[in-house]
Amino acid sequence: MTDPRTIRIVIVDDHHMFRTGVRAELTSLAATPRAGAFTLEIAGEAGAVESAVQAITEQRPDVVLLDVHLPGGDGHGGADVIRACAGVQSTADVPVRFLALSVSDAAEDVIAVIRAGARGYVTKTISAEELLTAIGRVADGDAVFSPRLAGFVLDAFGATAGEVAEIDEELDRLSAREREVMRLIARGYQYKEVAKELFISVKTVETHVSSVLRKLQLSSRHELTAWAMGRRLL
Amino acid sequence: MRVDPERTLTRPPKTVGMVPRRAPVGEDGTVHTAYENGTGPARPAWRATPRPPLVRQRQGKVIAGVAAGLAEHLGVPVVAVRVALVLTSIPLGAGLAVYVFLWATMREVGDVDPGVAAGPNGSMGPGAPVAGTAAGGAAGTTSTTTGVRHHVDLASLRTWLRSGNQAVVITLLGVGALAVAGALWLGSAGFDVHAEVMLPVVAIVIGAIFFWSQLDDTDTLGARRPVRWIWLLVGLALTILGLVGLLVRGTNVTELWQVAGAVLAALVGVAVLSAPWILRLWSNLRVEQAARIRATERADIAAHLHDSVLQTLALIQRQSGDSATVARLARAQERQLRSYLYDEDARAGTLGAALTAAMGEVEDLHGVPVQLVVTGDRPMDEHLDALVKAVREATWNAVRHASPPVSTYVEVGPDAVEAFVRDHGAGFDLDTVPDDRAGVRESIIGRMERHGGTARIRRRPDGTEVELRLPVRQPQSPEQPSPGPSAAGPPSPPSPPSPPSTPSTPSTPSSTPSGTPSSTPSGTPSSTPTGTVATPDPQTQEQAS
Repeated sequence: MTDPRTIRIVIVDDHHMFRTGVRAELTSLAATPRAGAFTLEIAGEAGAVESAVQAITEQRPDVVLLDVHLPGGDGHGGADVIRACAGVQSTADVPVRFLALSVSDAAEDVIAVIRAGARGYVTKTISAEELLTAIGRVADGDAVFSPRLAGFVLDAFGATAGEVAEIDEELDRLSAREREVMRLIARGYQYKEVAKELFISVKTVETHVSSVLRKLQLSSRHELTAWAMGRRLL
Repeated sequence: MRVDPERTLTRPPKTVGMVPRRAPVGEDGTVHTAYENGTGPARPAWRATPRPPLVRQRQGKVIAGVAAGLAEHLGVPVVAVRVALVLTSIPLGAGLAVYVFLWATMREVGDVDPGVAAGPNGSMGPGAPVAGTAAGGAAGTTSTTTGVRHHVDLASLRTWLRSGNQAVVITLLGVGALAVAGALWLGSAGFDVHAEVMLPVVAIVIGAIFFWSQLDDTDTLGARRPVRWIWLLVGLALTILGLVGLLVRGTNVTELWQVAGAVLAALVGVAVLSAPWILRLWSNLRVEQAARIRATERADIAAHLHDSVLQTLALIQRQSGDSATVARLARAQERQLRSYLYDEDARAGTLGAALTAAMGEVEDLHGVPVQLVVTGDRPMDEHLDALVKAVREATWNAVRHASPPVSTYVEVGPDAVEAFVRDHGAGFDLDTVPDDRAGVRESIIGRMERHGGTARIRRRPDGTEVELRLPVRQPQSPEQPSPGPSAAGPPSPPSPPSPPSTPSTPSTPSSTPSGTPSSTPSGTPSSTPTGTVATPDPQTQEQAS
């Protein structure tokens, strides 16, 4: 509490009204004292792919709030921004983290940005407190899964059919523990509630979620790949 | 909010999403307005239904679908039309001329499900008409061989005809037989048959049939099926040979080469001159098509926005003082727009669709958003219907008595469907619920148990969670792994009977960190098969609410 860190973010969204709303909500909320608080500095805003890339490379923020659908680029919206900003490091010399934020719940939108490298996906209906928590989590390098994303992961990895990885390193399946965590997140549990439910620490939950995120980004699982190929995402 | 019942009725189940909505133009291109809407002139009393449009049929066709379309249009048996055509063809070829004219002018019917079209379809099948055409057209010359094949391997013949270019082959048989018959008839009638005239004419006719038959394989609009170039080339070569043979008979060989060279030079010259024109026409056509498709899509989206979003916005403006109503309207509109934009999978009659509909209903009634996540899916049956009703009841309880966010998660596993409804309210004690309130006890717990499932209510420090579990029979797919680990989900141990009177948790929520089952099922073994439809579940897509 003595040394509250500062998280610098860039908001990328093509709707000016939404950017303004998020900025107002986040600044007012970040100003109020909370446990585990961090100060939030909104370093920039952008409304299209090119301006977003420019703002991110100039400002070198910790976290980018990234809309999935953006004008410009190659027509892939947020995924284009992530690819163009690959290798850009924040002022703290860690890679810039991306948190996708969209009204779309369509699975192809979710998976496109996640596979492009976003650390999490939340919908725009998220409350400001949850968004702030998610920003802090992404800044720490952890992953943020919405219930819907967790549901998709369970589906895509065949976890609902009972497929479980024998070894944790297996990329095409979830381990039993990861599956439990995903199930609880899909049920609407917060990370700390998941931790309490499974009698593990929040840090362990975050590790599991990050591992699932890695699998989601790297896996060549048949369903995932076939599904993405069908929509020309890869 | 949906004020356009016509769309829901006429939108085909496969084309949900951005596919252009059907305009009031029928799938055959005719505009149905007056009779259907009842606004036009009074329908003639003698006609119960409007006459079907005159289009060539793809189903049950033998050559090009002219006879089938004609029969459909006139309302007479297709066999009668065919017999009439064949009979009028025999003397002077009038039926054939009519057929060719109709084929050239009648449009083909719109999209037909290929699975239906390819299937064997009873009396409309090709077997009988093949024999009829061949026997009638051949005037006895080829009927014996066709008859034999007809009897010997009808099935393989049928598949061969279906797979290959049956129209061309059958027409060739007919024309050849007609030519032979005509020649024989002329010869017997005393006319001098010039073979050097007859052969080129027959070659020209056959070549033209080959060439034009490819017209049926290309749609001028949209989807183009591949043209069989070999048929085009053969047809072109036959026609040219026939024409040359017809024109140059009687001249000697050296002149023939000169003529051939001149013809070739003329053809090349015409091709070179006309190529830019043809290319220009072609590109114009493409541009026009693209523009029309865009305009259709645009009109479709505009119609949808007008019907839904603009109406809702008008309502919101009128009721802008009532925030609850505004929130409910906005949420309902959002859901509808979302399903219009993103729900590509037509999954009518599945658990996911039923749950989505039920959650939408709850949202509309109370204006509280419900986060629904469904993994896996399976076709509905009566037990799943009970589960949906129980989930709906639990969610309804949550939005009424607890505080948001309310989340519902349904997981369709290989041997059970599990549902979790979670809210952030203070929770409730089953014992304190009065007996006359049938909500939880009857609609959730009782309903689940009647269908062989279990229900339990967990109270947690920060909300209540209702867990429902319904065993289902595993779909009969061989690659399903053993469902061992998945049963380790929420343990729902069957323990003492008489669920409503089971002692429940203390009423202070914070004292039970991980919750205690306040009600457990009355010993229904979860292995009891519940007689669900054992259909393999093909789709495991994430469902959007």
